[in-house]
Amino acid sequence: MAALSVSGVTRRGLTWIVLGAPRREFWSRFRHRLWYQDTSGSFGTSNMEHERESARKEKTLVVAETVEEAKKEPILVCPPLRSRTYIPPEDLQSRLESCVKEIFGSSVGNSWQDVSLEDGLLKFSFLARLADDLGHAVPNSRLHQMCRVRDVLDFYNVPIRDQSKFDELTASNLPPNVKITWGY
Amino acid sequence: TKVGGRASSFTVVHGLQGLNALAEEAVHPVAKPEAVVSAGPQAPVLRRCELPVPATRRPVQAWVESLRGYQQERVGLAELHPDVFSTAPRMDILHQVAIWQKNFKRISYAKTKTRAEVKGGGRKPWPQKGSGRSRHGSIRSPIWRGGGIAHGPRGPTSYYYMLPMKVRVQGLKVALTVKLAQDYLHIVDSLELPTSDPQYLTELARYRHWGDSVLLVDL
Repeated sequence: MAALSVSGVTRRGLTWIVLGAPRREFWSRFRHRLWYQDTSGSFGTSNMEHERESARKEKTLVVAETVEEAKKEPILVCPPLRSRTYIPPEDLQSRLESCVKEIFGSSVGNSWQDVSLEDGLLKFSFLARLADDLGHAVPNSRLHQMCRVRDVLDFYNVPIRDQSKFDELTASNLPPNVKITWGY
Repeated sequence: TKVGGRASSFTVVHGLQGLNALAEEAVHPVAKPEAVVSAGPQAPVLRRCELPVPATRRPVQAWVESLRGYQQERVGLAELHPDVFSTAPRMDILHQVAIWQKNFKRISYAKTKTRAEVKGGGRKPWPQKGSGRSRHGSIRSPIWRGGGIAHGPRGPTSYYYMLPMKVRVQGLKVALTVKLAQDYLHIVDSLELPTSDPQYLTELARYRHWGDSVLLVDL
């Protein structure tokens, strides 16, 4: 049977608000009921049983579909959290140079630091390759400052620490009369 | 978008479709960014500024990320108009807009009764002279206990006011500028998720260090 919902029941009377049920089915239900009461025979019951069976079939179909959809969705597992510390590797210059030559072509030569990153596609591929390689990406706020490969080199030469100043202070050697409590 | 949240943990994630609508105060229909085909396995999403950029300024840039995988950061590069994403950091305008957003909807329903509205107090309690007590005209004057309030809140008061549209627009631009400058702005190509798991987004935000509160804006 199509779903009926009663909402807004006031003390004065019942206000039936039918959601998702076409009118014909709504009134046919009452028609069948009246008929059943009048005849008190087999007419009313058979119609009601048909409706119940079709409703059951619809329900099983719907259940099967949702189960299949749930199975089709991939179960993604979160990879382990990364720390934001970055220490520039020693062969940073050579890595950058090889990256430049791969993406911009080997026609660059000795002036690879002066290559301009104007073109969006080249800039994206270069910076994305570097970020995947070194595990550290240029943040959004400094992307527009990266005009030449020299700027990128300067950026990647700076180490980044994940600890806040307070954590550093607690970890460092403090004189015995200095205590830091930072509970948050 | 509402401006708020602690600075350390509030991130704004923009759905990428028509960013420069803000500059012109008109919502443009959805326009997918052009995908430039390259040799990579997936074409990077490169977005150019639709509106003309002044010749003296250059567009600001941001990575385009994707919500479809945990590690799908850097799906493309988006160019952002400098008039929206790198205006002057006008904190006064931002403050004005924040206070306006807080106050213009406010209706305070506080109301107190004055001496005229408090029940009783029409008759002079005792004659002017002769009783030895101080002179009074009614038992509901403000100096009496149980009397009316002289200068109390009077009825529902509305704090409605409208800042000029251009001020509000500038406030939005300043907010976006500040968020981009502090690395709390992330551009996303679309808001489609691979799973219907509600934990997916929280774990994604945790993995990408987006902060404790994330506002998703669909443009």
